[in-house]
Amino acid sequence: MANKPKRKINSARLAKLVIQRRTLALMLVFGIVSFLALFAKAYDLTINQYDEMKERASSQQMRSTVISASRGSILDRNGTVLAMSASADNIFLDPNSIQKRADELDLSRLKAMEKGLKEGESLPMSGQEYKDMIAVKLAEILGMEEEKVREKMGKTKSMYEVLKYRVEKDVSDQVREFITNNASGSSLQGVHLETDAKRYYPYSALASHVIGFLDADNHGAYGLEALYEEELEGSTGLTVTAKDGRGSEIMFQYEQYYDAEDGHSLQLTLDSTIQYYLERGIEDMISKFGAANGATGIVMDPNSAAILAIASSPNYDVNDPRAIYDSLLQSELAKVDEANPPTPDQQHSDAYMEELAKLQNLQWRNKAVNDTFEPGSTAKILTLSMALEEGTINPNSTFDCSGSITVSDATIGCSKKTGHGHQILKQAVGASCNPAFINIGLGVGIDTFYNYMEAFGLFDKTGVDLQGDVGGIFAARDKVITLDLACYAFGQNYNVTPLQLITAQSACINGGYLYTPYVVEKELDGDGNVVKQHDATPVRQVISEETSATVREMLEYVVSDGTGRNGQVAGYRIGGKTGTADKGKTGDVVVSFLCFAPADDPQVIMLITMDTPSRNTGTYVSGGNMVAPTSSAVMEDILNYLGIAPQYSDGQQSAMEATVPYMVGQTKDAAAARLKEYGFDAYRTVGDGETVTDQTPAGGAIVPTSAEIILYMGTEKSGELCKVPDVVGLAADKANKALVDAGLIMKSAGASGGGVKAISQSVEPGAEVPAGTVVTVQMGQTSTTAD
Amino acid sequence: MTREEQRQLKRQKEKERRRKEREAWEAARGPMDLPFLLLALLLLAIGLIMLLSASFPSAQASKGSNYDPLYYFKRQGAFAGLGLFAMFIVSKINYERFRGLARLAMIVSIVLLAVLLIPGVGITRNGATRWLGIPGAAVGQFQPTEVAKLGVIVYFAESISKKREKMRTFQEGFLPHFLLLALLAGLTLLEPHFSGALLIAGMAAAMMVVGGIHWGWIAAGVGAMLGGGYLLLFTDLMEKIGYNAARISVWRDPFGGDLATQRGDAWQVIQSLITVGSGGLLGVGLGKSRQKFMFLPEEHNDFIFAVVFEELGLVGASLIMLLFSMLIIRGFWLAIHARDRFGSLMVVGVTTQIALQTFLNIAVVTNFMPATGISLPFFSYGGTALAIQLVEVGIVLSVSRQMPAPKAG
Repeated sequence: MANKPKRKINSARLAKLVIQRRTLALMLVFGIVSFLALFAKAYDLTINQYDEMKERASSQQMRSTVISASRGSILDRNGTVLAMSASADNIFLDPNSIQKRADELDLSRLKAMEKGLKEGESLPMSGQEYKDMIAVKLAEILGMEEEKVREKMGKTKSMYEVLKYRVEKDVSDQVREFITNNASGSSLQGVHLETDAKRYYPYSALASHVIGFLDADNHGAYGLEALYEEELEGSTGLTVTAKDGRGSEIMFQYEQYYDAEDGHSLQLTLDSTIQYYLERGIEDMISKFGAANGATGIVMDPNSAAILAIASSPNYDVNDPRAIYDSLLQSELAKVDEANPPTPDQQHSDAYMEELAKLQNLQWRNKAVNDTFEPGSTAKILTLSMALEEGTINPNSTFDCSGSITVSDATIGCSKKTGHGHQILKQAVGASCNPAFINIGLGVGIDTFYNYMEAFGLFDKTGVDLQGDVGGIFAARDKVITLDLACYAFGQNYNVTPLQLITAQSACINGGYLYTPYVVEKELDGDGNVVKQHDATPVRQVISEETSATVREMLEYVVSDGTGRNGQVAGYRIGGKTGTADKGKTGDVVVSFLCFAPADDPQVIMLITMDTPSRNTGTYVSGGNMVAPTSSAVMEDILNYLGIAPQYSDGQQSAMEATVPYMVGQTKDAAAARLKEYGFDAYRTVGDGETVTDQTPAGGAIVPTSAEIILYMGTEKSGELCKVPDVVGLAADKANKALVDAGLIMKSAGASGGGVKAISQSVEPGAEVPAGTVVTVQMGQTSTTAD
Repeated sequence: MTREEQRQLKRQKEKERRRKEREAWEAARGPMDLPFLLLALLLLAIGLIMLLSASFPSAQASKGSNYDPLYYFKRQGAFAGLGLFAMFIVSKINYERFRGLARLAMIVSIVLLAVLLIPGVGITRNGATRWLGIPGAAVGQFQPTEVAKLGVIVYFAESISKKREKMRTFQEGFLPHFLLLALLAGLTLLEPHFSGALLIAGMAAAMMVVGGIHWGWIAAGVGAMLGGGYLLLFTDLMEKIGYNAARISVWRDPFGGDLATQRGDAWQVIQSLITVGSGGLLGVGLGKSRQKFMFLPEEHNDFIFAVVFEELGLVGASLIMLLFSMLIIRGFWLAIHARDRFGSLMVVGVTTQIALQTFLNIAVVTNFMPATGISLPFFSYGGTALAIQLVEVGIVLSVSRQMPAPKAG
């Protein structure tokens, strides 16, 4: 019994101990361990996975709306639009929805069939009919092949298949109409429009190489469009707002705006009128002489190297850059198609596609900047400049030409096989005498020659803001031998781009300053403020003002009395240099002509090159014969356009022009006095009335003052057409007589002086035109020596 | 024994009884445990603030709350006031008096749970019949489960405390309590209310464990839990028996499903993870949660702690978890130091309930465990639950008043 209470106490104590121990265990598990586990998990979520969760949170909490920016325009220097954007619509299909709708239609059709038709009810169209309707109608509206539409519609997993990018408004309106109004009885499902921007190039092929074009996503693919993509594109804006789980905006939570910034516009140095003159001239030249490897032309302001016009042939239509534009290339492509006929389903052969790609690249190539050539004699200007500057020659230096010269055991011929004999510097330049220039070059020496070529920028890229600017190719300075120098002296054996060459030549005639050529004058923001302006400071002065003046004098002599006489423009002092460069051993040549005006104060400089002209045109292949006449015509247009006043010398009076006065109703004497006052000397009368009843040319017409004015005194003006005579090959006076006899008026252009003959006429021989029509006759001479 | 002697004995007994009563009264008039009280009040205060922050967007946007942004906060506040009043009353009562209520409480609990099973009596929401009261009237509705928790606490404490060393036996210790536990959990599961059953079972089991059942049963229980958990979570057993195992697969890889799953079954978990994760270390700031704007479902309810994570960050949420941890540790500390077994067991029951709810709630919010609806004590919206929690706190405080003074030294 004594143990019992003790045992009881023990068991009570034990029970208490059990409670305490087990509660302590629970305390550890629930109070500490479980919270440590939760903390570990929470740490992983909030720290390790923070970025991912934050990203997920933002993406569901934020709504961003894109505000589109419009692409900047490209303007010429007068503000004429060369490229601009306007909104247009893309038409796209949602094949997935179309299929769903088709299935729906099938189902309801089936149901209707089971139920039976009531009076006046018709079966809904079947799914296939629905698809057919869309394919047929859209193909018709968009001018696509039906098969193509069906093919896109067949991609039923896709929800976005573009049928046609950027259609015009009238087309997109038709699509809208079709969507709302169609035979299915309800609005179409699966045909959509989206707004997109379309680029317009109002002048099609004009300056195509400079402007370039866009890809399907409206990003610049080529030309300035690509080079200035960032500036032109602008930046799309963004509105970011917070939204709740139901999609409503949470107004008091934060909001952020990023303004859309419209692209900047580019104002170019290019002048679309001058560009047009240049491209027309080159086209004209190629149509006469053919150019197997294209042609280039650059017009520049020599006092800043601002490019006024730059052209390459072949070119392309910027509005449709993938189509072959040049007719000659088109026929080449057609030949490939003939040799490898396309399959019946209009799939062109691989050879065709290959040729197409090749020709596309060819027509996109800006030869004036991307391709180098051996310049030939126009580069003699550089040799002349450096030698005069160095003082190794002076205007009184004399040279003897025997028709060839031997340098390091190699014999180099002159263009005139019989030799130019004894000549002073001016004559040597005027005759483009190779032996004289070899001597000049050797006199300068290799080292100095290279220093000057480097100073003229020929070793480097020009730095022009155009795509694909490349530098010249010369022998390494430490490997140059005397024979190389001899060839370099007259512009052979090294390669430069036309742009490099004209930039260096500008430096020779503008007082010696080398500029970086450029086409983008300024960048304008959306409001027309100038954001960036080209800084036309010269890179360096290569030769002195005095030397430059001497060079101008020499080059004016080339045009007035030397190989460049076909480059004359009546009323203007023109300086220039002809070039006919051998292309390696092929016998092919590059003919070229550089000219600038006015010769005493150059405002415009122009270089035109033509690669591999035809030898079968009857014209002796040389720059003076083939390029200079075109240059003369283009230069005349440019000078008139720029408002540079002509100053006629005595011998050029015939080329002066004046406005014909109105004389109807006046007496014969009064009319004669009036004509005299206006500068016209020659007139004749028809009929014997008291007063003038009609006149030819009509009042207000601008004709050469040498023209004979016909006054009709009461006699009816004959409505007969005059047949234009062929005057090519005639001397100026004979050509004039032939035209006057035919009742026409001759306007002479180009060269004047002895030995000059008509080389082309503006109206084809045999054409019938009204009496008094002005026919422009390009005068020039056809020498048989290369230059 | 003479009459005098008898009278004297009677008087003596009367005197003894009065002395005991006075002693008990005096014991019950001891100071209540200040740390536990303060921790509970602190958590309640923070919980109310977070409820206001989390609930106003949905309160403002829904017709059910009259578009009143303060709707939930006001109601929760009212219940908190009511609960605090009840807490103080309960804490003043000598807990020994609850012994007499034990049997009644258990019977009421079982009846209420059983009544829910009668079709048409209970109020059904989202396919679960968990509420009693007048349909439509929000005031006066309550969950019998909450009552059953109280019933379990009082009845199990009373029953287990009486049995002492007999608890080690199977027939008198383990079996009756286990059967009762199974009955209550089974009735709750039939509502169905999985988390409620889990809590009731957990509390009851914890009290049985502390009460001294044979360690073999503890081992068996832990083993069954681990095994069952493994089968449930880490094998494809659920798929095999044809149970909708979406919750499990969502738990394994919340972002892994297709779009429909992400927008459907996984939505809640995904939104909770985004809410928690996007808070980062320091949170977006009190009141500045964006996820509470109709992204996170049940944001003022079972997922309120996700908003705590988003607004206060890992640091703020951890501090609150630390407060919970301290409350729980203090609770068990009180259980260890209680005057008798009955007191200890009741405190273990209450503390276990708070601990289990806290752990399970935060575990779900952080996807530590598959989603199930468990509210967070002091935080989640729910008037009856909050009031009953405070009553339970009152019980703990009542027990703490009779704690023997710690021995000096």
